[in-house]
Amino acid sequence: MPRIRFFNFVVLIVFVVLFLGLANLSIIHGYKYSELSRKNCIRLIPQPGRRGRILDRHGDVIVDNMISYNLMVLPSEFGNPDQVLSRLSRITGKDSVALRRSYRQNFISLSIPVVVLENIEIKKAIALEEMKPELGGFTVEPQPLRHYPEGELGAHVLGYLGEIDRWRLTKLADYGYNTKDIVGFGGVEEQYDYYLRQEDGGLSVEVDRKGKFVRMIGFRPAQSGRDIQLALDLKIQRIAESKLGDRRGAVIVMDPSSGEVMAIVSKPSFNPAVFVEKNAAAVQGLFNDPKAPLFNRAISGAYPAGSLFKLIVASGALETKKINLSTTFTCDGGLTIGRRRFACWNTHGTQNIIGAIARSCNVFFFRTGIILGPQLIHDYAVKFGLSKPTGIDLSAETGGFIPDPRWDKVYKRKTWYDGDTANFSIGQGEVLVTPVQMACVMAVFANKGMLVWPHVIKDIQGRDISTGFRKASLVPIQKSTIETVRKGLRNVVADPEGTSYLLASLPVEVAGKTGTAQVTGKLPHGWFIGFFPFEKPTYVLCVFLEHGGSGYAASVVAKEIIADMCSGGVL
Amino acid sequence: MRDAGVRITVIALILCVLGIISIYSNTHQKDDRYWQLTYQRQIFWVILGLVIFSIASHFNYRNLWDFSYFLYAFALLLLFLVFVLGVVRLGAQRWLKIAWFNFQPSELVKLIFVIFYARYFSAKSVHDVSLRVGKFGAFRAILLPLLFLSVPLYLIIEQPDLGSAVMIMMIFVVMLFLGHVKLRYLLVFIGLILVFLPLGWHFLRDYQKDRLIVFLNPNIDPLGAGYTIIQSKIAIGSGGFFGKGWLSGTQSQLYFLPESHTDFIFATFIEEWGLLGGGVLLGLYYLLIRQGILIAAKTYDHFGRLLALGVSAMLSLQVFINVAMNLGLAPVVGIPLPLMSYGGSSLFSTLLSLGVLVNINKTRAVF
Repeated sequence: MPRIRFFNFVVLIVFVVLFLGLANLSIIHGYKYSELSRKNCIRLIPQPGRRGRILDRHGDVIVDNMISYNLMVLPSEFGNPDQVLSRLSRITGKDSVALRRSYRQNFISLSIPVVVLENIEIKKAIALEEMKPELGGFTVEPQPLRHYPEGELGAHVLGYLGEIDRWRLTKLADYGYNTKDIVGFGGVEEQYDYYLRQEDGGLSVEVDRKGKFVRMIGFRPAQSGRDIQLALDLKIQRIAESKLGDRRGAVIVMDPSSGEVMAIVSKPSFNPAVFVEKNAAAVQGLFNDPKAPLFNRAISGAYPAGSLFKLIVASGALETKKINLSTTFTCDGGLTIGRRRFACWNTHGTQNIIGAIARSCNVFFFRTGIILGPQLIHDYAVKFGLSKPTGIDLSAETGGFIPDPRWDKVYKRKTWYDGDTANFSIGQGEVLVTPVQMACVMAVFANKGMLVWPHVIKDIQGRDISTGFRKASLVPIQKSTIETVRKGLRNVVADPEGTSYLLASLPVEVAGKTGTAQVTGKLPHGWFIGFFPFEKPTYVLCVFLEHGGSGYAASVVAKEIIADMCSGGVL
Repeated sequence: MRDAGVRITVIALILCVLGIISIYSNTHQKDDRYWQLTYQRQIFWVILGLVIFSIASHFNYRNLWDFSYFLYAFALLLLFLVFVLGVVRLGAQRWLKIAWFNFQPSELVKLIFVIFYARYFSAKSVHDVSLRVGKFGAFRAILLPLLFLSVPLYLIIEQPDLGSAVMIMMIFVVMLFLGHVKLRYLLVFIGLILVFLPLGWHFLRDYQKDRLIVFLNPNIDPLGAGYTIIQSKIAIGSGGFFGKGWLSGTQSQLYFLPESHTDFIFATFIEEWGLLGGGVLLGLYYLLIRQGILIAAKTYDHFGRLLALGVSAMLSLQVFINVAMNLGLAPVVGIPLPLMSYGGSSLFSTLLSLGVLVNINKTRAVF
């Protein structure tokens, strides 16, 4: 039984050690601890950290923080909080019932100050600070609060801040998030919340019975969040927002070679400051507004592509050699398929692919689409990145939809007719795309074959993070195909009969394509996607007008944006 | 008081009463009626626990030998239920709601493991006094039992209840030692654990890492995890030699010390009864554990001896970890003080184990 004896011995030793540990605390350090306890005097002072700022590509501040003042009550300094609260309510002018309610809601422990009023005016803060020696029992603590110097500008890219919700908490608890944490919703604030968020610190100090500081016991410094630099260019963003004006829609400006997004506008917009001010009525208004101002149309809105889709059909048909440069079709104002007549918007006569793109002839593409076949149209649309999200680093992106005849046949037992294909070839029917997808499609023609990853981030706190970026992928299409389509795109603007001839007067050579997407019962959507300068493109532009009338209207907005970019010295 | 069974009963009763006294002192001032009645609920648990205790002490422990694999399956089922419910409710969960009672299975699982390993390392026949384990190779001595341990251990870690997991692991090692597994296997096994321990760091959740770091220096996080340790030390240290007297503890009564009636009841007790009371309390626990060891020494049936030793080891480990945690000598891992901490699950399983111990003492005399 030596092991039992050994076990007995070990147990005895451990008990002796525990007793000695106990004696050490209560006798040797007893005086120190009983002093601490007698005066009840550990006070915890939270020190809020600063959330990271958001900068534009030149380092100009888009979002930063401003100091605000919180009124905190110290529950350990009085027995009954009602007295102090009613006196405080007289100074601050707030209802004492409301103060008592927020005191009860925010109470954690006797030793931790309770926030009863947030974001008080600086005058009142000073007044309170002056009353402090007289009244006692409260403090006014500065706290950094999100500040938006640019107002509504880029609201959808930035997102807004709010208290963490249950769903996010369950997902983020393992990353150190807690209830009542302030986290980003939507945009960069949500996407890069982990980097932006600060870590609150605090100190525990020993105070005497009057609440005067005696000495510091523990300290944990507050950690500020990291600053995030975006690829966004404030100048371009301002131009795009002002030119889109009050119209509903979206504008995207992107670098075609890197995928850096220089401007994203979605209208109607909102002011993220509303969420900081905790203006309940205004926030409710935003959520209930039928115009959906919180909805980012540039990435979350899926719309019929209209004539923009002809670029996909053209590329597919050229690539599969179903047509070539000398293939011509004659447009006499429409095409009869089966028993139905599909109209063109004009009578274009005989033309080849370049002329058909320039004039956006429907008949040419009805015929091309039928020759190419719906399955190949679908396949080429997927090759251009449609029907799946582009992966832009903003939350709530949607993938759109491209009908798949094979899928339809198997799962919906639906037969494709040539009429369906005709509709499909001009981007009507079930085709749904997002503005950011179309910007990427245009970038493929601008940079001659690369499908780039659109992103708004540039670096985090000055650290290069480009190794984490997704690589651009090569679209499996020959250079000659792209060159042909590019010629067509240039003719859209350069040809006097082109649909965007009004852009020809700009000082920069623009290439692009308009689109008018029919919507039953409402005004059609207007699209314009383009790139400039033509030879060495540095910008891809996508303008989308929700129920904006036509592609022409979108071209007008595009012209104004490009003109301002030229005169504003961006180009 | 000659009989070990009587001594165990008396000591356990004293400890339960001390627990109720401390819980009362701790909660009677709170403004919520639910809180004020905490001690009444504890009295209720103690009475129910004593019923369980007397049933267990009349239930021949030899039957446990036959049941051990069923018990093991039952433990797995309980843990699996907690796991599934935890997944469904999207969050940490350590308990099962049975009628009005929130039962924490990991408490019972500890006892089941003690029974299981006592069974594993012993032969059925009471007359076979030769050591079965002596012939075991490394596989049957360590790897196979470890395999039995792995699934429940994983489920407990997933809850996540790191305290109970560490506890069960420690009980396992002690059982290996007391089960006469060859010393060289045991040393290699402990060596391997020590080698792989740093790797385990990566599997810890953030809050668990926090607790370990803060244990090394509580002052780096005075508002968070360090708060409890600091307050607990103040409560204990301010007690001095004689304590502040019953109902006069300030740290614990004024909300300063969190969990003051469950995991940190030791600090509450010491604040009011001082080093003197602490010495008496530790002495009572030592006497209780010593009874178990004495019973084991007198028992020649292998299963009974291992069972008695296992129960004593389980009790002592719980007391050690909890007291060390209160003194700031061990990280805060959520292990209650047996018999004193508020809560039915811990009380029931402790009294159940003591009942088994008493039965071993009584039944052994038959042979």
